[in-house]
Amino acid sequence: MGTKTFERLRESALDVEPLVCARCGFCTFVCPAYNDTLWDSQSPRGKLYQLRELILKNQPIPEDFAERIFKCTLCGACQEICQTKIPLLTFWQKVRQEINDAGLWPKVVHLLDESIQSSKNIMDLDQEDRMLWTDMVDDIVEDRIDKPAKVAYFAGCNISFKGTLAPIGENTIKVFDHLGIDFTILGEEEYCCGNPYFVGGEWDKAKELAIHHLNKLKDLGVKTVVFNCPGCHRAFNEEYPHMLGKESVAGIEFLPFSQFIAWMLREGKLKFTKEYNEVIAWHDPCELGRHQNIYDEAREVLNAIPGLVLREMKHSRNKADCCGGGGLLKGTNPLMSVRISGRRIEATEKTGATILASECPSCMMSFMDGIENTGKKIKFKDLSQIVVEALGL
Amino acid sequence: MLLKKQLQQIADIVGEDYFSSEEYMRKLYSHDVGALPNLVNDILKTQVDAVAQPTSPEVVSKLLQYCLKNKIPVIPRGHGTSGYGGALPTKAGLAIEMTRMNKIHNVDTSNMTVEVGAGIIWGNLIEELEDQNLTVRAYPSSAPSSTVGGWVAAGGSGIGSTKYGGVSDQIVDLEVVLPDGRIIRTSSPPDDIIEEFVKQEYNYFPSDDEYIWAIKEVEKDDFDLTSFFVDSNGTLGIITKVVLKIIPLHAIRPFVASFKTKEQMIWAMQEIMKETRPFYLHFITEGFNQMLTDVDMPTHSQHPWVFLCAFEGSKEQLDNEEASLKKIVDNNMGVLEPQEVAEHEWDERFYPMRIKRLGPSLAPSEVYVPLSNLQSFIERVDRHFKGESFALEGAVNNKGEVAVLAWFLDDERKTIAFLMGWYRSLDFIELGLKENGRAYSIGMWNVSHSRSFFGKKKYASIAQLKKKTDPKNIVNPNKVFPGPIQLSMRFNYLIIIAATIIAPVVLWLAGLWVGDIMAAYGLEWLAVTNLTSALVAIGIGLFAGVAVSEIANYVPINFMLTMGRPFLRLGRKIFH
Repeated sequence: MGTKTFERLRESALDVEPLVCARCGFCTFVCPAYNDTLWDSQSPRGKLYQLRELILKNQPIPEDFAERIFKCTLCGACQEICQTKIPLLTFWQKVRQEINDAGLWPKVVHLLDESIQSSKNIMDLDQEDRMLWTDMVDDIVEDRIDKPAKVAYFAGCNISFKGTLAPIGENTIKVFDHLGIDFTILGEEEYCCGNPYFVGGEWDKAKELAIHHLNKLKDLGVKTVVFNCPGCHRAFNEEYPHMLGKESVAGIEFLPFSQFIAWMLREGKLKFTKEYNEVIAWHDPCELGRHQNIYDEAREVLNAIPGLVLREMKHSRNKADCCGGGGLLKGTNPLMSVRISGRRIEATEKTGATILASECPSCMMSFMDGIENTGKKIKFKDLSQIVVEALGL
Repeated sequence: MLLKKQLQQIADIVGEDYFSSEEYMRKLYSHDVGALPNLVNDILKTQVDAVAQPTSPEVVSKLLQYCLKNKIPVIPRGHGTSGYGGALPTKAGLAIEMTRMNKIHNVDTSNMTVEVGAGIIWGNLIEELEDQNLTVRAYPSSAPSSTVGGWVAAGGSGIGSTKYGGVSDQIVDLEVVLPDGRIIRTSSPPDDIIEEFVKQEYNYFPSDDEYIWAIKEVEKDDFDLTSFFVDSNGTLGIITKVVLKIIPLHAIRPFVASFKTKEQMIWAMQEIMKETRPFYLHFITEGFNQMLTDVDMPTHSQHPWVFLCAFEGSKEQLDNEEASLKKIVDNNMGVLEPQEVAEHEWDERFYPMRIKRLGPSLAPSEVYVPLSNLQSFIERVDRHFKGESFALEGAVNNKGEVAVLAWFLDDERKTIAFLMGWYRSLDFIELGLKENGRAYSIGMWNVSHSRSFFGKKKYASIAQLKKKTDPKNIVNPNKVFPGPIQLSMRFNYLIIIAATIIAPVVLWLAGLWVGDIMAAYGLEWLAVTNLTSALVAIGIGLFAGVAVSEIANYVPINFMLTMGRPFLRLGRKIFH
C-alpha cells in the first residue's frame, strides 16, 4: 500500500506528467466530461493543471477534486490526441489509486469493492445465480459448465446478472451452437474479471481474481476465450499479463465477439446469406478501440452481411466519442453519463441510420438510457444480436 | 479582490451556472500555454477573481458595462491556447471566457462566408463546414482547441496562410462589444467612432470646405474598423461574432522533402514560393528533427533539414504543382520522402509541442522574418543562444515572410534558472527585428514592440479608439498598450518591510564608515547610534518603502520588460 502523497505516481514515474502537459487543450474538446459542462475544471488539461500544483507542493488531493477526477469515463480520447503523448489512461488510473489511498473513493466504488470481495461479482448477488442468463439456451449450455474444451465463453457480471443484457450471452451461445463449437463456460467459477479495480486504480485487489481465472482456464485446457464485454476482454488481454507477466497468459487467446466472428468468416466456417436490410451506425467501444486498437473486425462482420448498410459516424474509430458508461461514471455520476450518451445518439441520427450498434454491454446500457432520455427513434442492437438475426437463428 | 456583493451581481448577469469564483477555477482561467516564473506570480496579480462564460452579446455587454462602472479589469479569453500572454491577468479582475458562444449562425454560399460565434473551436467549425463540402481558407496550428475569436484577437498566421494569408485576410466582418457596452458591427461603425477619426481632418483645413468634404469621404471609405480588432488581444472590446471567408473543399496533397543542409532547404523553399502556390509550407531545423527522434516521434526523413509542403486544389492543379515541386527538390539536392512520411507529417501539423517532454517546460517565442533572410536569421539565433537547448520551426505566409517559432526547453522546477531564461523569448524577437523581421503577436510579452508592429499611424488610431471607449483601461490592461503594472499586495508589503529593515542597517553602517562625511554635510543625525535614531531610521525606511511601492505601480510593463532583460541574461549565464 502506498500511503505517502503521490507515491503511486512517483513509483511509476508519472508524477512529472502534469509538467509535461503542454496545456494546448486538445484534450478538452474530445473529453465527454468537459463537453458536458464546458468548464475547464472538468477537462484533462484542467485536472492536470490542478495536479501539477498539488504535486509540486506535495499536497494531498482535496475531496472536491477527487470527486471531479471520477467525473471521467476513462475513454482515452485525451490520450489519443495528447500533444506530448502523456499515458493518460494509466495516469488517471494511478490518480484514482491515490484517491483510494487517501480514503476518498466515491461510495459507489466502495460498494463495488465490497460486493466483489464478498460475492465475487459486482452485483452483490449469489454466485449460484450466475447462470440465470442461460435460461433461454439452457439446453445448449447445461453440459458445458466446467467442461474441458478449447473454447470458453466469458460472459462477465453485466450479462450474467442483468436480465436486459442476458440476450447478448444467449446470442453468442446460439452462434457457437450454429458453428458446432465445443465450448465451456466457467459457471459459478466465473468471477468478476477485476475491471472495476482497474478503472478504480487498485490492481492489487484484482490479482487474486486474475490468478483464479487463468488457473481455471488452464485446468480446462482452454486455448481461446470469447467475450462480449470489452471491459472483461481488456482485463484478460491487457491487465492480466501486465500484472502477472506475459507468460501467465501464454497459449491462451482472448477474442472479442467481433474478432471471433471475423475469424470464422475468414475460415469459411460462417457465411451470411440472408438479406438483412438495415442501416446501421457502428459505435467503437472505447475499451476495444482506443484502449486496444481493435476496430476493423466489427466492420468486416457487418460488411459481410448482405443488405446491411454500414454508416460511419463523424467521430469513429480512434476518434469515437464515448457512450458515457465507462470509468464507473454510470455509478458515480449517472446524470452526466446519460447526457453523454444522448450526444452519441444525436450523432447517430445525423448519419441517417436507424440502428446504433456496438459490442459492449456497458455501451448498451448507456445507449438504452440515452435513447429513452432523448426520445429519439433510434434502436440499439448489440453485434451479437445482428449476427443472430442475420443468420436467422 | 472583488467584493462578495460584486461577485453575486456578476453571477446574476451571466447566470449562476456560467459563473465561478472558486479558487481552483480562478487558477484554471488565469493561464495560457506558457508557464510563468514564480516571481512574476509574486509580483503581479496574475490570478483573476472570477470567471464568467457569457452566452450572448447582450450578456457580454452587460458584463462590460458593469465592469466599467465598477472599475473591474476584464480579461477576454478564448481557450487559452496562445503563449504570448494576451489572455493573462495582470491586475486580477474578471475573466470572460467565450467558449459558450460557439454557434454557426449562417453559411452564405453565394458570398462564400460563414458567420460564427467567436467562441467556436476551429476544429469544430472545419468539421461542420466539411459536411457541406466547404472549408475555411486558413486555420491556426492550435485548431483542435483554439477559438475563432481567439485567433482574430491574437493575430498571426497558420495552416493555409502560405496561400491565403494570415487571420486578418480571412475576416469580412466582426461583431464586437465595445468596452462601453455597445454592440457594433465593424463593417458599419457607429457615427461617433467614424467622426472621431474624421474630425481631425476638419481641424487641419478649417477654411477649405471642398477639401474638408473630400477628406471626409476618403476617410470614411478607408476607415477599416475591422482591422483595428485583429491583433488587438481584446483590448478594444470583446469579439462576439466573426464573419469569415470560406472556400470549396478541395483535396490536399502533402509532400515532405529533406535536405542535408539548411542552405539547400531554404533555396528550395524560395524557389517553391516563386514557382508554385503552396497551401502550407513549413520547415523544421536539424535540431528540431533530432528532438522529435529523442521523444520517439521521428520524421523518418533521410536528411535532417525537412519541410512539409502541401498543395490544395483540383487534380490538375495538384499534378502541376507536384511536378514543379519534384523538380525544385531535385535541383536543390533534396529527397522527396515517401507519401506515408508526408501523410504523417501532415497529420502532425497540429503538434509542434511534441518535444516538450524533453523540458519538461517550454518557453516559446515567435517572430516573422523575410524568407530571404531565413538563413542568416537561423545562423544568428544559433550563435546567440549557444549552449541553450532550443529548436526552430516555421511556416511561410503569403507575403514571403516566415513565422519562425522557437521552442526553448527548460524546467520550471528550477525556479531561478527558469526565471532568468525568460530573456531568450525576448531576445529572439530582437534578433528577428535585426533581420528586417517583425513581432509575430503582441499579447503582453511583446508589448514593447506594439508601435513598430502596428506602425505608427495605426497604433495612434487604435490608441485613440482605446482612449475613447475605454479611458480607464479596464479591458485587458497591459496588453498591446503597455500601461502601468499593479504590484500584488504581498509584493507591496515585501518592498515596505524590506525598506524598513534595510534603512536602519544602512544608516548604521554609514555612521560607522562614512560618519565624517555625513557630519560634513550636517547629516550626522541620520546615523543610527542609539534607540531613538534607530526608530527614526525605521520611520525613514517605512516612508521610503511606501514611496517606492507607490512609484513602482506607475512603471509601465514594457519598461520593466526592457530594463529587466540584461539582468535576466546575465543571471541565466550564472545560474544555467
